[in-house]
Amino acid sequence: MSTSTNKQSLKGMLWTWAALTVIGVIIGLYAPAWIMPKSMSNNMHLTILTMVVFTVAAAPVAAGVYATALFALTRWTHKGNDVPSAGPAVRENAMVVTTWLVVSTLLTVFLLIWGLGALAVDNGSTGKNPLVVDVTGQQWVWSFSYPGTHVSSPDLYLPLNREVEFRVTALDVTHGFWIANMGVQVDANVGTITTIHTTPDKLGTFDIRCTQFCGLNHAFMVTEGHVLTAQQFTSWLASQPQRA
Amino acid sequence: MNRSKSLGVALASVLLGGGALALAGFALASATPHQAALNCVPSQSAPNTCNLNLSTFPDSMAGEQGKDGGVHPDWVSYSNDNLVVPANTTVNVTIDQYDSGGSLNNAFFDQVMGTVGGTATIDGKTVSSVDPTNVGHTFTLRGIPGSGKTMFVSVPLPADSNTQSVNIGQGQYTKPVVVQFSFKTGAKGVYEWNCEFPCGSTREGQFGEAMSAYGYMSGTLTVN
Repeated sequence: MSTSTNKQSLKGMLWTWAALTVIGVIIGLYAPAWIMPKSMSNNMHLTILTMVVFTVAAAPVAAGVYATALFALTRWTHKGNDVPSAGPAVRENAMVVTTWLVVSTLLTVFLLIWGLGALAVDNGSTGKNPLVVDVTGQQWVWSFSYPGTHVSSPDLYLPLNREVEFRVTALDVTHGFWIANMGVQVDANVGTITTIHTTPDKLGTFDIRCTQFCGLNHAFMVTEGHVLTAQQFTSWLASQPQRA
Repeated sequence: MNRSKSLGVALASVLLGGGALALAGFALASATPHQAALNCVPSQSAPNTCNLNLSTFPDSMAGEQGKDGGVHPDWVSYSNDNLVVPANTTVNVTIDQYDSGGSLNNAFFDQVMGTVGGTATIDGKTVSSVDPTNVGHTFTLRGIPGSGKTMFVSVPLPADSNTQSVNIGQGQYTKPVVVQFSFKTGAKGVYEWNCEFPCGSTREGQFGEAMSAYGYMSGTLTVN
């Protein structure tokens, strides 16, 4: 292949890469919020933002792979039975190798820092009078109790804009406590209490599912949660039968 | 083989493989392990009401498992696992509880929940909860949130401490504890129920064997 043909191919590939990158960035900006469950908490906002940032950051890399694959399949093919002569090895091109290393290192370090930061924020507590909810998983029902109130319920009720501290455990096998709309997901382990926080910031109803295959009726281990105003929540608590 | 022919063969292989997997999936999904349906019997005295009679046994000798108790005659069982009730109806349930018991692993299930009035009667006495250390089984029914099929009913069945013997089928038991309650059905659909007292074995928390198999301590309630 002549030098001018190579340059033409490279130019075409760069344009293809740029076009695919734009498509990837657009997908990254809009798809996560469209595909993922409706956000009802600060954790879920952060989860969706993280998906957006990661997808946008990955778009040029993915575009590079697709552009290269596309050109390799359509342009850089060899016809005939003779063995083609090898071109110059990429590993000997200092600019390509340096760019590759620097860009991928920067990208990886950025993702690592973002991920660790998001994880710290996600798991952190504001310490501002959280509502404690004890969550118990057993085959195949979730139950929720509110320490200090003698109230327990098969459905979860939460007040709006107040931090919630879930203390999650299981009685038989490992279950997975997952509120998709709140970006909350943690294993419920036998004999262990795992704590996770969130702050609901939208009124409405959500599903709570089990994410660990836990036996015969795992698929039916789904229950309903509700975010109420503070006043509605207080009324709901007062209306519940008090356990001894 | 030329290029287009190779592509055609590859595409056909993928389609055939996918079709075979889909067929296997449909076959598995439609294969039901459930027993014959137990239909709720319309009440002669009250409109929009029906009666459902069940039993719980310490083995499988008297239920729907067949002659000699089926494959696992020693497993605890409900008399039937395939319950069928009408939509928008009050279902009066009577459960004859023939099994012994012990402590719940989650005292949450000592409460009567989701029934008419939030109560049940046990040998004629109205209760809203029972002693969590003396429970034989529970009847716990739930729907699927988000599907319009929300329903949660849970009734504890106290352990049977009677001593008077009775024979049912090929089994010999003691006189049962009789638990009665009513609940209202809503939308059509298939709901799941099971026992929440740890009465199985082999797995952590005693939720294995009979607790993890349809036909014993788990089943469906079809609202139609």
